[in-house]
Amino acid sequence: MEFLMIVVVLCVAVSIGVWLFIARQGDAEFEFMVKDRTPFILEEWTEKTATFSCKVPFMNKGTQDGTIMDAYPRHLLPCEQYDGVEVNSRMELMTAPRTDNYFEAVIIPHGTGGAVAITVTFTAKKGSIQDALDEMCELTVDMAIDIVYQIVARTPWYIHKTRMVMTCKEIMDAMQTKNAAK
Amino acid sequence: MEELELQPVRTRILTDKDDIVEMIVKYAKDDVGPDDVVSVAESVVAITQGRITRPEDLKICFLAKILCRFVPQLGSLSSVAGMQSAMNAEGKWRILFAMIIGMLAKIVGKNGVFYELAGPQAALVDDVTGTMPPFDKCLVYGPRDPKGVAEEIKSRLGCFGAAVADVNDLKRAAVLGVSEGLDPKKLARILIDNPFGNASQRTPIVIIKNYGKAEKRAEGKA
Repeated sequence: MEFLMIVVVLCVAVSIGVWLFIARQGDAEFEFMVKDRTPFILEEWTEKTATFSCKVPFMNKGTQDGTIMDAYPRHLLPCEQYDGVEVNSRMELMTAPRTDNYFEAVIIPHGTGGAVAITVTFTAKKGSIQDALDEMCELTVDMAIDIVYQIVARTPWYIHKTRMVMTCKEIMDAMQTKNAAK
Repeated sequence: MEELELQPVRTRILTDKDDIVEMIVKYAKDDVGPDDVVSVAESVVAITQGRITRPEDLKICFLAKILCRFVPQLGSLSSVAGMQSAMNAEGKWRILFAMIIGMLAKIVGKNGVFYELAGPQAALVDDVTGTMPPFDKCLVYGPRDPKGVAEEIKSRLGCFGAAVADVNDLKRAAVLGVSEGLDPKKLARILIDNPFGNASQRTPIVIIKNYGKAEKRAEGKA
């Protein structure tokens, strides 16, 4: 009986020790800091399309290294809200720009971070993109963009979303800045 | 007198639809002579054998969640997916046993015991980011029968020998399988500077030119 008690006490002590070790060790903890993002700027302009981009910093604020396995922007502009443009969006690491909209998995050591570039292209369904975006702004349509990212670290993989909003005012400002520069 | 020369061979991205020997014949045949040794990167051999899995496809057990915590961060088994894939390959009780003995050995100052006991796949599993896209989102196991692959390459190309090697930029090289008569340690020393390059260079084959002649010269001197 005494021996059994010693075994039980040992098991409990080891379990507590392991639990404390894991709790103290922590894990990776990613944050896309959308509040610190740059304003959208107009990158490219044609009769039918307008392309805007901004930079969003991110950081692994946790205590362990983590891997961003995949990340992409999910723009949300339902036709019920505005049906004058078709939207495409893409995201890439600032340090590893690509042309294929593929996000290569990357290890982010704890306490470090980086930035992603988010590119949004509007294509007018009818008429010119200028008219379409003017109408979008008249209707005060702001477009939500979810940054969706998949993380794998000490804990099993998970997918997280952070929301940012591309406002119609921002679109107008970007176009006016470009026009002024011209 | 001809010297040893390392000649990387560029290929397209190889997948599990490819046969590694056929691909080596396709891309390297014209450059390989009878005195050359053909080496191929182990992760690419494994990929062509379909020895890959995705974290999403793994069923993570409680033990994997605990044990990965005791592996230093740079190791592939430090992620729970890496640990689970090693457990799937070698058995979770074997990994647990190796971990306990490895920890005890470390206390008395002996390193590397875990990997000695945990089985070859524990050391060979590449975690996500370990290989080139599109396999950067996969875990890649070690190759099946590397010696057999090396023998087949030698036989198809009529070269001096062949090897399947695991080399990285951290100056770590291990030769997993060689054709008859080759010294894996010697080949590992030759490949230590990672002539396979990084993933984006897509050079999974390296021809070691004039290896046979160098061997004969060395034997002559001896």
